[in-house]
Amino acid sequence: MDKLAESAASDAVSPVEKPHEAPPGWEPNILAFACHYCAFAAADLAGVMRLSYPSNVKVVRLPCTGKLDHIYVLRAFEKGVDGVFVAG
Amino acid sequence: MSEKTSSSDKHGSVLVVGGGIGAMQAALDLADGGFKVHMVQKDPAVGGTMVMLDKTFPTGDCAMCMISPKMVEVGRHLNIDIHTLAEVVSVEGKPGDFKVRVRLAPRYVDPDKCTGCADCEAKCPRKVTSEFEQGLSTRKAIYALFAQAVPNTRAIDASQCLYLTKGVCKSCQKVCKAGAINYEDKGREIELTVGAIILGPGLDRYDARVRGELGLGRWPNVVTSIQFERVLSASGPYKGEVKRPSDEKHPRKVAWIQCVGSRDSHNANPWCSSVCCMYATKQAIIAKEHDKNIEPTIFYMEMRAFGKDFDKYVERAKKDYGVRYQRAMISAVREEPGAGDLVLRYASEDGKLVDETFDMVVLSVGLEPHKNAVEFAQTFGIETTPYRFPMTSPLLPVRTSREGIYITGTYQGPKDIPETVMQGSAVAGEAMALLGEARGTETASKELPPERDLAGEDARIGVFVCHCGTNIASTVKVDEVVEEAKKLPGVVYATNTIYACAQDNQDVIKQTIHDQKLNRVVIASCTPRTHEPLFQETIREAGLNKYLFDLADIREQCSWCHMGKKEEATKKAKQIVRMSVAKSRLQQPISTDTVGVTPACMVIGGGIAGMTAALSLAEQGFQVHIVERESELGGLVRNLHRTLDGSDVQEFLESRIAAVQAHPRITVHTGTEVAKTEGFVGNFKTSLSSGAALEHGAIIIATGGVEYRPSEYLYGESERVVTQRELEKRLAGGEQPKADESFVMIQCVGSREEPNQYCSRVCCQDAIKNAIAIKERNPNAQVAILYRDIRTYGLREDYYKEARDRGVLFIRYEVDRKPAVEKTNDTIRVTAWDYMLNSELTLNADWLVLSTGLRPHPTTDRVGEMYKVTRNPDGYFLEAHVKLRPVDFPSEGVFVSGLAHAPKNLDETITQALASAGRAGVILSHERLAVSGIIAKHRRDLCMSCLSCFRVCPFDSPYIGEDGKVAHNEVKCMGCGICAGICPAKAFQVNNFRDDQILAMIDAAVECEEPGVIGG
Repeated sequence: MDKLAESAASDAVSPVEKPHEAPPGWEPNILAFACHYCAFAAADLAGVMRLSYPSNVKVVRLPCTGKLDHIYVLRAFEKGVDGVFVAG
Repeated sequence: MSEKTSSSDKHGSVLVVGGGIGAMQAALDLADGGFKVHMVQKDPAVGGTMVMLDKTFPTGDCAMCMISPKMVEVGRHLNIDIHTLAEVVSVEGKPGDFKVRVRLAPRYVDPDKCTGCADCEAKCPRKVTSEFEQGLSTRKAIYALFAQAVPNTRAIDASQCLYLTKGVCKSCQKVCKAGAINYEDKGREIELTVGAIILGPGLDRYDARVRGELGLGRWPNVVTSIQFERVLSASGPYKGEVKRPSDEKHPRKVAWIQCVGSRDSHNANPWCSSVCCMYATKQAIIAKEHDKNIEPTIFYMEMRAFGKDFDKYVERAKKDYGVRYQRAMISAVREEPGAGDLVLRYASEDGKLVDETFDMVVLSVGLEPHKNAVEFAQTFGIETTPYRFPMTSPLLPVRTSREGIYITGTYQGPKDIPETVMQGSAVAGEAMALLGEARGTETASKELPPERDLAGEDARIGVFVCHCGTNIASTVKVDEVVEEAKKLPGVVYATNTIYACAQDNQDVIKQTIHDQKLNRVVIASCTPRTHEPLFQETIREAGLNKYLFDLADIREQCSWCHMGKKEEATKKAKQIVRMSVAKSRLQQPISTDTVGVTPACMVIGGGIAGMTAALSLAEQGFQVHIVERESELGGLVRNLHRTLDGSDVQEFLESRIAAVQAHPRITVHTGTEVAKTEGFVGNFKTSLSSGAALEHGAIIIATGGVEYRPSEYLYGESERVVTQRELEKRLAGGEQPKADESFVMIQCVGSREEPNQYCSRVCCQDAIKNAIAIKERNPNAQVAILYRDIRTYGLREDYYKEARDRGVLFIRYEVDRKPAVEKTNDTIRVTAWDYMLNSELTLNADWLVLSTGLRPHPTTDRVGEMYKVTRNPDGYFLEAHVKLRPVDFPSEGVFVSGLAHAPKNLDETITQALASAGRAGVILSHERLAVSGIIAKHRRDLCMSCLSCFRVCPFDSPYIGEDGKVAHNEVKCMGCGICAGICPAKAFQVNNFRDDQILAMIDAAVECEEPGVIGG
């Protein structure tokens, strides 16, 4: 790291918060935004093929992931969702 | 039922034989264009070959993802009747009025009762080798051809069913809650009356076991290319992991052997199968993408990458994926004892014999007519070639010897998906032209009750939770989900149902809407991708706007992937229903607009593509304007005299020009260009440079290409250096080559190297055509062709063989070692490296003939900018979708055909022109076009005209209005919502995907039964 970057790092106003340790048995709650034409179809195919995955992910269907708005992601985190997955 | 009665004795219905992508395209175009379609398919489902493929070249798109929506569309089209397990027995009658008898084999499952739940399949004890998986896995005796099959009705394989063969079992009947199993089914015969017949039965694959030395069926790790497609497929036997059959280990070294069953008149077929070079390249790339340790080698004779962007794809395979291309014929494959590895023996470039060991070998098997091709043709009374393909002419490429019967797809000859789709639209165009006046006479339309006015009503939601037999109910506690739904705000009624989609349940839903005064419906069952339209139709029949419906997917996305986890799955199902209800609560009726259509088309370009399209559309009954910038019609074809098979092109051209000029519905504007076009699908307004103003509903861009004028090889410096076209003109003028007069031809002049890294497709045939003409006139004249790869694809291969048989010399050169030419006293001296002899070769040519290829027309960019349609890096127009929309542009109502799209041969140009006429005809046949309900709505009061939407919209629907502010053309909008995502003022909202609805779903996703606990 060069000197300039080093001083910038030490001058940072608020240091990055350390992530909390996950309590034992904790399961994240995940919300997925999926494009109707590809990722949502892929999620369907996973079912048709009886592929198994954890049940803690719910899918919101969008006509295109280009439709995704920042507010959706922010609202999800604000409401306590642990992870947002955008697929399309 | 009938919208109008026919004024003639022609029937407004068409029989389509076959169910592959070409047949489906023809069926959809015809049905969308006002014709009743009967599809007769011998398999239990539609889909053909394409559904077996994993990905497609050269874009790597997933085949199933592309074809699946098409299958669903065919399956539920009001005017397409699919007859599966069916074969045509006899055909009588004349064009416009055929009587066709069709034999339906017993299915043993009643399609009216079967819901496709597959409970029977799970219970069936009888395992059978799966034909669909090419023997790499098993299916049951009661089965669907593949997971996404349309129709989804199961069928019993009578030769395998324990009850039908031995009288024991009946497991399927016991488990079927719909009572759909009928062991007494005997099949039946039906008679259909149709105006035209389209044949698209496709081709079979060569049985590579005939070539015993390659080891198929003997060595387990030798597979066919179609087996390898299944290996690669995520829904295949290995779930997309690249494994070899003997030990399911991941192979490292994989070899492809090309031309298995093709270009070989001894044990196989003499023709080229057209697609194998590219599918092998694709398989090598995809295998490498799945497993980076794989080292692919393709053993080939000639790399026939002749299509649009194919050469670039092969270059990428070499450079970016490390695919090794080894020019060698493999004489035998033998297995190393023990390991299952395979040893290939071949002659390397320097002539030495090499033994090389591979972990797995893929045989690139070719295509051939079905075993019963001759009987099939006889049933329809059409003539066949000695190779058992239907007889056609390059000038009438989709017509058979019997009027009113057309052919589409590989049945005509080996070809790839886009060419098959093109032919699908082309035959639709031909049938529409034949039956023009009978359009709309046999199509059905539905009478619907008026929509109920919901003004002032609060949400009254009804929720139906489906068991799907045991598919959902065995994993999700349906009753709990129902109870949970009852508690949700807005829900006034909730119940369960065994099969939500069953016919009788549609009546139950309608009655419940009435009894409970429901104004919104949520069904919790399967995926909206297949079932939403069905339920939307049902609620519409009950007087509700169809957008007051939502489908909660608790099968594909819940019960099927959380099997054995009842608690978790039930909890998730409740959450999914809660999200769905939250959205439903905010649903509003959506009115869909319609716009009028001007039943006329403007065709830009008066070459053979433009004239062919114009004639087809005029025959279909529409007004056509041809706009040609030159002073006369004809385009590039004016320089062409004969086709490869000897048809007289000039005579054909004269007949076309005469037909165009004589047609009462065609107006020709020569010496004219388009000055300005505005408007949108159905409603274009164009001003021409002549000052004329046109109104039309569709546009076909057929602006053509130009021949490359070479600067290489002394062209222009010696009169003894000519192009193929100039030679053709001399020959057509009656020139007689003298004995020992020497012609040396050089291929790929200005093609297949930077900056023109593409194959011009026509030059190999041109060279061979002229070479044969010279030899025909004087067998003692000398002809040598210096080439890189001879690309006489498909049935053109015969002429390559004929040229060799007549003594034409073929000498290969490499791009980094091109022939050198110099002028001597009265000849041209050509020096080239001969890779066979490994020595330099000098030829003294009386004539040096350059195969110069094609370039985009200089006006392409200007036309492209005018219509906002893009060009590929080589300057040719880029179609809406390389595979499935080969003549469409992304802008609705604008189509492309001919050389403007890519270099192609005359028969292909004619086909594409007919296809563009078919596609345009579909639009023009509507008096009004319906605008989709799921579109972005624009609020001008919120809009700041920042132009963000204007820049990102792929469909060009936002525009700058007359007041200088952004406005939105809903006719062009496809509802993707990219505008809504980017708009800082939130002036765009997509119907049924509005921000308030999505946010309500997000909120509902994190609510749970116990207040205060986040998540679930």
